Amino acid sequence: MTARATTAAPTRPDSDEFAVVTKELTKHYGQITAVDGLNLRVRRGEVYGFLGPNGAGKTTTLRMLLGLARPSSGTATVLGVSPGSPEGVSRLGALVESPGFYPFLSGRDNLVVMARHSGSPITEIDGLLEEVGLSTRADDQFAAYSQGMKQRLGIAAALLGDPDLVILDEPTNGLDPAGMAEMRNFIRRLRHRCTVVLSSHLMHEVEQTCDRVGIISEGRLVQEGTIDELRGSFMLRVVVHPLTGAEAMLSAMDTVESVGRTDGVLWLKTHPDQVAAINRAMVEGGLEVSELVVERPSLEKVFLELTGKGDAR
Amino acid sequence: MRRIRAELLVLRKRRSAWILLAVWVALGVMFGYLLPYLTIRGGNTPAQALVGVLPENLTDNVLGGFPVFGGVIALIMGVLAIGSDYGWDTLKTILTQRSGRVRMLGAKLAALAITLSVFAGAMFAAGAAASFLIATMESAPVSWQSPVQVGVALAAGWFVMAIWAGLGVMLAVLSRGTALAIGLGVLYGLAVETLLMAIAGQVSFLQAAAEYSLRANAYSLVAALGVPAQALADNGPGGFSGPFVGTGHALTVLTSYLVVGVALATATLSRRDVT
Repeated sequence: MTARATTAAPTRPDSDEFAVVTKELTKHYGQITAVDGLNLRVRRGEVYGFLGPNGAGKTTTLRMLLGLARPSSGTATVLGVSPGSPEGVSRLGALVESPGFYPFLSGRDNLVVMARHSGSPITEIDGLLEEVGLSTRADDQFAAYSQGMKQRLGIAAALLGDPDLVILDEPTNGLDPAGMAEMRNFIRRLRHRCTVVLSSHLMHEVEQTCDRVGIISEGRLVQEGTIDELRGSFMLRVVVHPLTGAEAMLSAMDTVESVGRTDGVLWLKTHPDQVAAINRAMVEGGLEVSELVVERPSLEKVFLELTGKGDAR
Repeated sequence: MRRIRAELLVLRKRRSAWILLAVWVALGVMFGYLLPYLTIRGGNTPAQALVGVLPENLTDNVLGGFPVFGGVIALIMGVLAIGSDYGWDTLKTILTQRSGRVRMLGAKLAALAITLSVFAGAMFAAGAAASFLIATMESAPVSWQSPVQVGVALAAGWFVMAIWAGLGVMLAVLSRGTALAIGLGVLYGLAVETLLMAIAGQVSFLQAAAEYSLRANAYSLVAALGVPAQALADNGPGGFSGPFVGTGHALTVLTSYLVVGVALATATLSRRDVT
């Protein structure tokens, strides 16, 4: 049994600060729970990375935000209104999974069809084709497009009508490395004109393009924050002799927040700017420093720890 | 209106729509004019039968092809008009383009209705051209029916096609695709109803069921417009020799098919997740 997501009043404070808010959003497919009590907040004007392994529930969540699927329970508001309602959808653009267009129509005609459905001016199509680099192939049939060109046409369709929020689901799927880099640059440029929700399972893609990230695993949001917040503090890995003397000395330094010790290695929580000063102090204190490395957990490591999955790239 | 224009653009540029139109017109001319004319010329049919393929009998001759052959062509058009959107994922793209589900379906139905009027009109135009050619070759008088008579027949033909197209739309939405919908629709139109008509006379409750079939009501409607019963019975594998029903009954039943088909498609599309 499914229920329609309840409509939030457009005047609620959330709608001013947040482009997307979900509360306990849940979707069941029979006995399978695809999304399980998801609480998500996407601020207006940010590029929000929605990160999760394959099958984590990312696309199902996006489908619910777009009104393509109904939540089993919970609520969602998109741009202050319920998903799929005309007021919200009129300010929303999306590319969900693979771009779906008429194979026998040209790229331009496909955009004409979509513009007529959306009520967007036909006159903006040439500009969008130029923006996504499809001007010279605009009159070729969609069926003859490469995967990268199809993705770019999908982006152009998502930008019809100058939306306030753009939802992109795995937009670099099937692109070659150059195409992926181009797409990332394009998404970065988008931040100046709208809010972007970017769903991906590619760490570097999210790391390079997103302001904040939500990590989803088995339908639940397991962590949300900026990339820096997720990766945590820098750690300084120190191999030094004698260990006990070094530990006592470093613990007494104001610039060192904490000192830990594992398997003959000291782990210092400090700012990377202090590394040279710490090194000098140890050498001047008569310690033999054989290794000094600034380390920080990668987003991939954080992701794998949080999701317990091994298929992240 | 802009959504209807969008859907008309899709149908106009779709090769399969043109192929169906060509097949429909070619079959109509071949079975309605060419083969009857050749049998008359070959002496296998009395010469007075020539009058049946002359302009004065345009509506009688053309309308007989609508209840089954035109219906199946319309059914395929109905299926293609929305069933392909599931396979190509264009349904999802359109629905993320600020087009509500009901409005999108409404635009598709309106564009389909306009396209079917072209199909019906093309058949009448082709029939008129063929009958004129035969009359000229045979030095027979060219006497056209009144525009009102042709207009009513054209409307009836379009209506029959619209009902079948509605059935196609419903099957496409229910099956979320084209292949199964076309298969089921053609099976029903050409096999199930044929068998039903064949055995209806022998089983009493099937007689009643036959009176509510698409075929009986569509043929009854065109018969009411003057198409001779014998011409309908000789209409090949889609031929029909009864039971005929009253015009009011036929219009009511056919309209019910259309309303139920479109309502079911609308309700299903509105409620079901787009995956």
